[in-house]
Amino acid sequence: MIKSYITRGFSSFVAYVFDVPSRLLAFLCLLLLLLLPLVIKGYTAHPYYLRILTGANILAIFAASWDLLVGRTGQISLGHALFYGVGAYTSLILATRYNLPPWVTIPFALLLGVLVALLIGLPCTRVKGPYLALVTMTFPLIMYTIVRSSLPKIFHGELGIRLPFKKALFPFLHIIQQRTAEYYLSLAILFISAVILYKVASSKTGIVFISILDDEVSSKACGINVTKYKLLSFAISGLFGTLAGCLQGYLIRIASPPMFLLTVSFIPIVVTYFGGMGTIYGPIVGTYVYAMLDNFFFDVYFPQLLKWGGIEASTVLGYLELLVFSLIVLIIVLKWPRGIARLVTDKLEDLAEARDLDERGPRIWKRYKTKGQ
Amino acid sequence: MHVLEVENLTKRFGGLTAVNNVSFFVDEGERVGIIGPNGAGKTTLFNMISGFIKPDSGKVIFRGEDITKLPPYEIVNKGIARTFQVVRPFRHLPVIANVMVALKSPRGCRKIEWLKTMERKAADLLEDVGLSELMLEPAENVGHGDLKRLEVARALATEPDLLMLDEPFGGLNPIETEFLTKSLLRMHLDEPTRSIIIVEHKLYALMKIVDRVIVLHQGEKIAEGKPEEIVKNKKVIEVYTGGVI
Repeated sequence: MIKSYITRGFSSFVAYVFDVPSRLLAFLCLLLLLLLPLVIKGYTAHPYYLRILTGANILAIFAASWDLLVGRTGQISLGHALFYGVGAYTSLILATRYNLPPWVTIPFALLLGVLVALLIGLPCTRVKGPYLALVTMTFPLIMYTIVRSSLPKIFHGELGIRLPFKKALFPFLHIIQQRTAEYYLSLAILFISAVILYKVASSKTGIVFISILDDEVSSKACGINVTKYKLLSFAISGLFGTLAGCLQGYLIRIASPPMFLLTVSFIPIVVTYFGGMGTIYGPIVGTYVYAMLDNFFFDVYFPQLLKWGGIEASTVLGYLELLVFSLIVLIIVLKWPRGIARLVTDKLEDLAEARDLDERGPRIWKRYKTKGQ
Repeated sequence: MHVLEVENLTKRFGGLTAVNNVSFFVDEGERVGIIGPNGAGKTTLFNMISGFIKPDSGKVIFRGEDITKLPPYEIVNKGIARTFQVVRPFRHLPVIANVMVALKSPRGCRKIEWLKTMERKAADLLEDVGLSELMLEPAENVGHGDLKRLEVARALATEPDLLMLDEPFGGLNPIETEFLTKSLLRMHLDEPTRSIIIVEHKLYALMKIVDRVIVLHQGEKIAEGKPEEIVKNKKVIEVYTGGVI
């Protein structure tokens, strides 16, 4: 009885995954990420690599949430660090001052994140284009000044808020197990967030988001309350941005003013252009490439290469790293402006089209075809 | 009963008076054409009725309700849909999704019938204007004539009581013009209570559709009447030919 359920479930799962090539690819990527810690454990016992990968997972949530707001709705935001910082500060303040566990502090921080998103969304829906970018940029800078120089009893100024080790996510585990647990937790949250964001983006509400990106006047002429949908986009984006902030706060066990800095806001922009704007999966791919380049290549292999060339790494590395990375981004933006993730998905779509003409485009159009006949 | 009443509408852009003290009404099921030379204020009048531009003075009354100060999307949800002179499709979206945006509005949702999905409804609307073939094509790949018809389908998606078409035949070839004329006439038979206002330069196509014509010149209403009266009106001929004849 139970066995038949399991086999039936398994076979329908296999049918679901093998139905569309891109779905199979996503499944393979997930499998790779699930198996990665095992590979790393054999390679080195150092928790460093796991920490890097966990950081990449969290950054991927952050970048994907930015993509929904900017790539889908067209609300150019240069201040996404606001949600990052609000998430980290709220969860850590609640954890240290009131001794609350993560499963209480994080939902509370998410609620606050959505409120903040709606609050900044109100002025932001009234401005457009470059002005919107400037307005969004100011909010994290205001927060930076506030947490750094006012209410020292709550924000602890420059030092930020430190979370004691015993209040971390998995304090009872050994360091390597703790890192592994953190990695799998962040991967699970990334997977769920990405699925939710992708489903929202390809739903009928997502269609309205794209219509606002394309032509706001035309959306209004279609009877769409543009302000309402923009606020919705801000709220969803803020929710997942705050989630990334909470996780980062718990991971590095510190919430400090630099979390509100402009550099934090720029990371999702860079990785989204890298991976492919408006795709949701693009920023996730972009984040992994960015994290690999940033941490493994520049911190480990690049200095070694320089050493063989007879150059002292410590003197030039700081500049060269930025230069090389900027060059890579520049080349990608010029050569493949649609992002590196779309290089693969476009190929897959061509394959699917060659196999069956009905299978192009998101599932929503296909669903019409099957239902309509 | 008057569906739409426009009372003394005036709009000034700096020193230029684009629309000057224009009043008219539209009855239920009536098809009204607005004509006039370039710069006569036709599009400004349209924008004021649909709420995209707020008038300096005057009132727009729809079904006995003052809608002058309402935002554009609320006016659409009251039952006035419009198209644009220059096509404004959602270029990233497939043609069918363009229509689905309008179906997602409160009025569009309300009109979706039991057991009829949004996709099915959108496909039916596209079939009415003859775009079924291009349904899944992204709007950026679709030609200008087809986009004009897409605009009409999108406006019809909210099931308006008053449909306002801003130069629906602009840039269409004779065959496309013929097709759109026919589908508008057919729509009038299907929905006899729906009123239509058309702004158009192609008078030949327009005169076949409308019951009444309003002529604007330099922001003022200079004539109003049946199509056959208007083409004989001396003042109108003078305006259109520059007073040579």
